[in-house]
Amino acid sequence: MSGLRRFLHTPEAVAGVVILAALFAMALSASLLFPGDPQSIAGPALLPPFQDWSLPLGTDRLGRNVLAELFHGARTSLAVGLAAAAAALAVGAVIGTLAGFAGGLIDEVLMRITDAFQTVPGFLLALAFVSVVGPSLGVVVVAIALSTWTGPARVARAEVLSIRERDYVAGARVIGMHPLAIAFREVLPNALPPVLALSSVIVAAAILTEAALSFLGLGDPNRVTWGGMIAEGRTVLRTAPFLSIVPGIALVLTVLGVYLAGEGIVETTAVKRGLS
Amino acid sequence: MSGFTISRRTMLAGSAMLLASTAMPTLGRAQTPKKGGRLVLAADSEPRNLNPAIVASNGVFFISSKIVETLAEASFDGKDGLAPRLAVSWEGAADGLSATFKLREGVKWHDGKPFTSADVAFSALQIWKPLQNLGRTVFKDLSAVDTPDDLTAVFKFAKPTPFQLIRNALPALSSVVPKHIYEVGKIEDNPANTAPIGTGPFKFGEYKAGQYYRLTKNTDYWGKDEPNLDEIIYQVLPDRTSAASALEAEEIQLAAFSAVPLADLDRISKVPGLKVISKGYEGLTYQLVVEINHRRKELADVKVRQAIAHAIDKDFVVKTVFLGYAATATGPVPKNDPQFYTSDVPTYAFDVAKANALLDEAGYNKGADGNRFSLKLLPAPYFNETKQFGDYLRQALAAIGIDAQLVNNDSAAHIKAVYTDHAFDLAVGPPVFRGDPAISTTILVQSGIPDGVPFSNQGGYKNGALDALIAKASETLDTSARTDLYKEFQKQVATDLPLINVAEWSFISVASDKVGNIANNPRWAVSNWADTYLES
Repeated sequence: MSGLRRFLHTPEAVAGVVILAALFAMALSASLLFPGDPQSIAGPALLPPFQDWSLPLGTDRLGRNVLAELFHGARTSLAVGLAAAAAALAVGAVIGTLAGFAGGLIDEVLMRITDAFQTVPGFLLALAFVSVVGPSLGVVVVAIALSTWTGPARVARAEVLSIRERDYVAGARVIGMHPLAIAFREVLPNALPPVLALSSVIVAAAILTEAALSFLGLGDPNRVTWGGMIAEGRTVLRTAPFLSIVPGIALVLTVLGVYLAGEGIVETTAVKRGLS
Repeated sequence: MSGFTISRRTMLAGSAMLLASTAMPTLGRAQTPKKGGRLVLAADSEPRNLNPAIVASNGVFFISSKIVETLAEASFDGKDGLAPRLAVSWEGAADGLSATFKLREGVKWHDGKPFTSADVAFSALQIWKPLQNLGRTVFKDLSAVDTPDDLTAVFKFAKPTPFQLIRNALPALSSVVPKHIYEVGKIEDNPANTAPIGTGPFKFGEYKAGQYYRLTKNTDYWGKDEPNLDEIIYQVLPDRTSAASALEAEEIQLAAFSAVPLADLDRISKVPGLKVISKGYEGLTYQLVVEINHRRKELADVKVRQAIAHAIDKDFVVKTVFLGYAATATGPVPKNDPQFYTSDVPTYAFDVAKANALLDEAGYNKGADGNRFSLKLLPAPYFNETKQFGDYLRQALAAIGIDAQLVNNDSAAHIKAVYTDHAFDLAVGPPVFRGDPAISTTILVQSGIPDGVPFSNQGGYKNGALDALIAKASETLDTSARTDLYKEFQKQVATDLPLINVAEWSFISVASDKVGNIANNPRWAVSNWADTYLES
């Protein structure tokens, strides 16, 4: 309880949570407020914002409702961000735990693979993967996970290296638990908190990567994405700048929200640990 | 498109009158081309092979047409729409088995060697016929080129070939390259393919990848007192939004081929010192076409194809996707073609109810989710407009219960998916009409074309009657009978819809007021620019 109170006393964290809550509300209400296909043509093309209150943010080059696209885009951004981060954390934690716990040859092999992934710039890897496999939502998630799992893997391994020398692990060994069971039931849960602290950074990076892929035309073309909206607006940047600015602001706020909320959580837990 | 041209022409005429009445001396000066100067313009692609005799495409012509010339160029007022270049006169034999070209005297290659009929014979037999993307069809029956003297070339055909077709093909297909350069080694690997040597008003200067192409004045050019410009620089600006800013900053003086996005034209036309010109592309009409894979059983049904045609609001496409810089299409020949176009074809008005009724009639009823069936839609990535039309088509199809899933590919992957792997149900393509249906239009619907030929019928469409009509037209020598056959061709295509023609568009140039003699022929952007000049 005191943790929550402390959390709520950090203004940045509150701001982050409020933004995130608004985003989730947007994503969840998208289908209720704007039923049907958000890409359907709703009015005259290139209507500027605040002119027609049935289309408050105006329309894009084909006459699609920008507000509807923004709401449905929130859904894609959050879904991709969360799914990619979850996948990256899961893969990273498992590989890091295995490497750290097993040690020796397995550790060497897994860590060299991690090194190999880390030497390739993450975005480039995602770009190459999507352009080879072909753009769709699932592929984009995998591509982003592929380029971000190395961070959690390294953190998990470092944590596991210290945990595996603890007495309770030795105890588990003595009572004859299977090494894999020790690794995943005893060690991994205790190694998780610092790994999870990476999640806000990863979610934010994933959302940005998804937007960048869509901007380059490698997003799922059958879904509205903020990156895709910016890319489409770019061709008319001089005449209708709002088409790029609106999703751009949404993107900035989302990443900021995720980051602030994540920082808040990390700080709260750090303070708690420091006190105890 | 034609409507727009006329209004602009009228407007230009009007403003010229106004100028004449108030500023006579200025106008007088503007009419005398000034010598010298460097024209800097935007280039949005960097073709690797600059040999227009092998790669007859607008991207290549844009640069190489100033260096390598053709036998004749398109013209607004010349006989049969042609103006002489390397040939001064041409005539087809009555039996269609030969065509005689008289060549220009005193023409020299950029390396100083004289230009002769041997160069024409070599180009035609060794390059146009076997290697050129378009020449393979048009010159398929060319058997020999006789050269009785240095200035006469007689084309011999194994089968009667309509001279109308050869004539219409001259501006795009007849780039002459020097025999003495190309006869050594493999033609495809010749260094002159990347640093071309021609007879044109400009010589190839240098190419810096990602930066620019530089062409310099050919002081030995055959045209009297031509060219006017000293240099042409093609500044590589792959980002479409940057061309407009570069024009405004006076870094470049010309952006052709719609390098300035259509949505910016309205704004930029109000910038002092810049003009928006829609003339000069009449001979380069692009067609917005829905390509159909007839291997899909639903699409093999003509009722389904008609329903799709009825579902597309062509006026909306012209107004919204092309912002008015296009015309709606009725069939496979564009409305602005002076020789072949006929409006006497079945048309498909925008009518969603009728489209739905046709689909019900065809037996494809709406399922519980409102969908009849699902299709894969591949919009060609070459133009913003083809991509946008893909987005629109998805919505238009949703309205009639067809769920279209968009698949985006890059250029190479798109060509492979559609024309080699046939991994599409519908595709959006931009074929070009090149002045004669036999050059690059009949190939879009004709059967028996091997897999992998880009911009051809790869949808598995087969119609014996249409094939017979195309075959007959290809050997009909009489111009009016041949024209009638192509009118019948348009009617049959519009009836059976092997593909759906949606709109026809061309390009827009934006130029500084200082650039003179712009858009003075129907292929201006890809002509030789010998008379183009810059006022200081």
